Amino acid sequence: MRVGVFICHCGNNIAGTVDVAKVAAETRKLPGVVYATNYMYTCSEPGQEEIKQAIQKENLDRVVVAACSPRMHENTFRKTVEKAGLNRYFFEMANIREHISWIGEDKELNTNKAIEAVKMAVAKVMNDKPLYSSSFKVNKRVMVIGGGVAGMQAALDCADGGLDVVLVEKSPSIGGMMARLDKTFPTIDCSICILGPKMVDVAQHEKIKLYAYSEIEEIKGYVGNYQVKIRKKATYVDWTKCTGCGACMEKCPTRNAYDHFNFGVAPTRAINIPFPQAIPKKAKIDPTFCRQFTKGKCGVCAKICPTGAINYEMEDEIVTEDIGAIVVATGYGLFDLDKFPEYGAGRYPDVITGIQYERILNASGPTSGHILRPSDQTEPKTVVFVSCAGSRDKSLGVPYCSNFCCMYIAKQAILTKDHVPDSQSYVFYMDIRSPGKGYDEFTRRAQEDYGVKYIRGRVSRIYPKGKKMVVRGADTLLGTQVEIEADLVVLATAVISAPGAANMAEKLHISYDTFGFYVESHPKLRPVETNTSGVFLAGACQGPKDIPASVGQGSAAASKVLSLFSKDMLESDPAIAQVNINACVGCLKCVKTCPFQAIKEEVLRSGKKVAKVIETVCAGCGVCTSTCPCGAIQLQHFTDNQLLAEVNAICQS
Amino acid sequence: MSTEKVKEAIAKVLPDVETVICWQGGFDAIHATPCFVSSPEQIDKVIWSPLCAQNLASYLPSMKKKVGIVVKGCDSRTIVQYMQEGLIDREKVVIIGIPCTGVVSVKKILKEIGHEAVLDASFDGSGSITVRTPKGEKTLAIADVCPDKCRTCQYPTPLVYDHLAGDPITSDKPKESVYQDIREFDAKTLEERKAYWEKELDRCIRCYACRNACPMCVCQDSCIAETREPHWISQKLSLQEKFMFHMIHALHLAGRCVECGECDRVCPMDIPVSKMKKKINAEMKELFNYETGVNPDDKPPMFTFNVDEVKIKEHKL
Amino acid sequence: MSVVAEKELRVVGFLCNWCSYGGADTAGVARFKQPTDLRIIRVPCSGRVDPLFVVKALLTGADGVLVSGCHPRDCHYTDGNFYARRRLEMLKRLLPFIGIDERRFHYTWVSASEGQKWQQVVAGFTNRLHQLGPLHAKKENEG
Repeated sequence: MRVGVFICHCGNNIAGTVDVAKVAAETRKLPGVVYATNYMYTCSEPGQEEIKQAIQKENLDRVVVAACSPRMHENTFRKTVEKAGLNRYFFEMANIREHISWIGEDKELNTNKAIEAVKMAVAKVMNDKPLYSSSFKVNKRVMVIGGGVAGMQAALDCADGGLDVVLVEKSPSIGGMMARLDKTFPTIDCSICILGPKMVDVAQHEKIKLYAYSEIEEIKGYVGNYQVKIRKKATYVDWTKCTGCGACMEKCPTRNAYDHFNFGVAPTRAINIPFPQAIPKKAKIDPTFCRQFTKGKCGVCAKICPTGAINYEMEDEIVTEDIGAIVVATGYGLFDLDKFPEYGAGRYPDVITGIQYERILNASGPTSGHILRPSDQTEPKTVVFVSCAGSRDKSLGVPYCSNFCCMYIAKQAILTKDHVPDSQSYVFYMDIRSPGKGYDEFTRRAQEDYGVKYIRGRVSRIYPKGKKMVVRGADTLLGTQVEIEADLVVLATAVISAPGAANMAEKLHISYDTFGFYVESHPKLRPVETNTSGVFLAGACQGPKDIPASVGQGSAAASKVLSLFSKDMLESDPAIAQVNINACVGCLKCVKTCPFQAIKEEVLRSGKKVAKVIETVCAGCGVCTSTCPCGAIQLQHFTDNQLLAEVNAICQS
Repeated sequence: MSTEKVKEAIAKVLPDVETVICWQGGFDAIHATPCFVSSPEQIDKVIWSPLCAQNLASYLPSMKKKVGIVVKGCDSRTIVQYMQEGLIDREKVVIIGIPCTGVVSVKKILKEIGHEAVLDASFDGSGSITVRTPKGEKTLAIADVCPDKCRTCQYPTPLVYDHLAGDPITSDKPKESVYQDIREFDAKTLEERKAYWEKELDRCIRCYACRNACPMCVCQDSCIAETREPHWISQKLSLQEKFMFHMIHALHLAGRCVECGECDRVCPMDIPVSKMKKKINAEMKELFNYETGVNPDDKPPMFTFNVDEVKIKEHKL
Repeated sequence: MSVVAEKELRVVGFLCNWCSYGGADTAGVARFKQPTDLRIIRVPCSGRVDPLFVVKALLTGADGVLVSGCHPRDCHYTDGNFYARRRLEMLKRLLPFIGIDERRFHYTWVSASEGQKWQQVVAGFTNRLHQLGPLHAKKENEG
């Protein structure tokens, strides 16, 4: 065996705290190693060239690169050794940057640890076996989960690119949060006016199949071949018959149903169409309020419906779709008022959230766009906005910035002045965060052209006084206490992950962070990919973001899907389980533990019962290998002997 | 409980099966040995007495045709465990159960008689064995020379059978006594426990008798103690390698050991081989309320999981 | 010589590729300083970690072994860490029986975003081992 080892300086990133020359010198003493060198940037083109040349000149048959994390550059170097004629699995990486040079302070200890890491990688590479990919067919249908603006954009781009799209939306209409907004910053153009046409495009696109009021039940399979079970939730209205005329909604006697679309600003009917531009524009019964369900009698809507669409007996339906890739665009959630006891915890009707105010401002909202405060339906003259209601507050578990509140507060303050010219708005803020294009100018306009008063400080308490709400806070620039008697208080509540985000991630096998936001494959270079191949992210499910960023990600995710589907066949990862039929005793414990049902029983011609791996289904976790008592089923590239070689390299020297 | 009843049952079962696995007398009067009865005339040599200590169930996974088998209560746990793990086809096994009040340990008898040659031995029906040697006769209470497992036996009547040779009996041993020895050992200091195992395992000659006798060691010729792919241990006769072998044995039996004691019985060096497995069983009972070889519908705990594990708490640093 | 004598102990870590190895990378990118004793072996999933690897390491020279995987329910392979949890808990309870302090073996869950938690795990476990001292008598060529 002729192992070559390449130790990267990574500029000063590694060489700063690791004596790379010493690592190379010590490496040369290892059995099997015939060549070891250190280089400024191994991943650079000349760095890779040097590897290729060394493979030729030194007749290397195995290569180790000691550099950054294999999660970063393993693929880069695999391609390099492959170009030089080696099997791509005759390569190992020792992570001497993230795991050593960046975290250890003592150069001597770091250097020793780096030598050890190389020793382990050499031990492993000497046990590596050549592996070869096989190819499998791709089902070129994409599923988009979430019909907000990001999901719609992804669906439309994929569909325009010729792909069949399955769009699944959990609420009765697509449109998401953007459909609820009145105007958008920094242009103050009407939100639904720009979103509406997109929604219609989605509805009318022949390549898009829309499942509204549906949720993902189960996802099975792997990139190129997923089987997804979708739960079509019972609406109690036959949507093939419903024309969206709204007669049922008008006549429904239950007038106190919670209005999810309007965030409870005003009640709605038990049978309702969420908003005029809804797509699909179909009615749905809320059984928690409908008298037919709560009291067992009513039936008004069934009588009134001109098409006989009402069906109180309707049940959820499960459908299965076969698809090849998934775009996750499940959006975000918002903190509830109950998180803020100091602001009344939702007890004061005139302390509302930003999204509720959005609905009040909206012409299709409960007040038809007239700004009327909830308590007495009068026009507020003094409006106070509180930014960072929960955001950047560790004690509430939200240490991060919610990204777009500063901007929408400015917008809402401007709109308030437009609607009520003799009004005065105040904004309590921590910092004004407006780094987008035209954003800072916008917040300045609010202050300079619309007279919005910005007070730098936090609000400690809000309490009622007569018909007013007293907002008590600090002005940290003046160093004084401030009290404002307001008619209406709007809290910019923190953006949090969507309800059920973690559960969805578990179904998708993607990672989520402490806050429930989905984790991208690389924070800079792979922002819409996940670590699960074939699953992509778009929009605020990955972290709070505004409309242009969400739309951009929707398109980006679509382009990733299109490039994935540009090939008819995909290459499989050969690092999967393999059975040695001579050693297998047919106990089939592996069949029991495989999380993917990728192993089945096979009877050989001799009559011997053995385990057999279904190659396309095996995901390469290795649970079978650690289950098998006789070591007969081995996860390739992570075999017992390969891992033992590493253990021995550490322990037996 | 008599040999006659066992013979009757075998005669009844025999026409339906290829062979019946049972016991016959061994090379001397305190040894029994397995025998395979395939025709009625062979039934005569069958014996049933406290000498019948071997767990015959171990033969079942290798049987291709339908067979009959004679089992004690403890042996029946092996069959139940095989059923849990899908290692036998229950349809192809006819089980003759024997209610058993305890067997004898040949090792313990030999110790009592000073390893003299055995000329004759007899049971008096009231719980004792009389052994005659060139040095004279010695009567021993079975309770004093039984294997440790009999002292806490919970299942004197087989848990699964098609025919029962005798009337069912229930255990008179307290349930808590089963793992008492384990908990006593747990109470020792770390150093004591370490020293104990170093002393015991150092005697191991790696003959693999314990493994070969184990009904749950399914690997047999593929045992990773002897392979190079994978290469877990070398053939070096060091304490480290011996320790590793016994850990392999123990961990492969985690939540599977039916406590039949065959490993202890066959060990030529008198190493308490079953002890580690019993410890794991005690923990399996505590963690998952799982007992091996009791209910055919149970799942061995290492091959399944609960999303929320009630008894497993996250460990803090 | 495997570790720097007097300063380091031998600590072996098995980290799943998707969560904990990523978490260790995240800690590195954030320059969260850690003790240098730990040697990391990358495995696809904590479910790949046969308890025998831990035993092998502890018997042949390691002073401590750490296994870290994805949080339960967040396994890249759905169920791998559920199996790991049972097996490793079993092992943790067996180790003291054979005379190895169970504190020398730790298993935990660290996600790819939890760089800070990773730092705490490494520091906490290494410190604990230093309090316990070496498991094995010094080899002659050491020290």
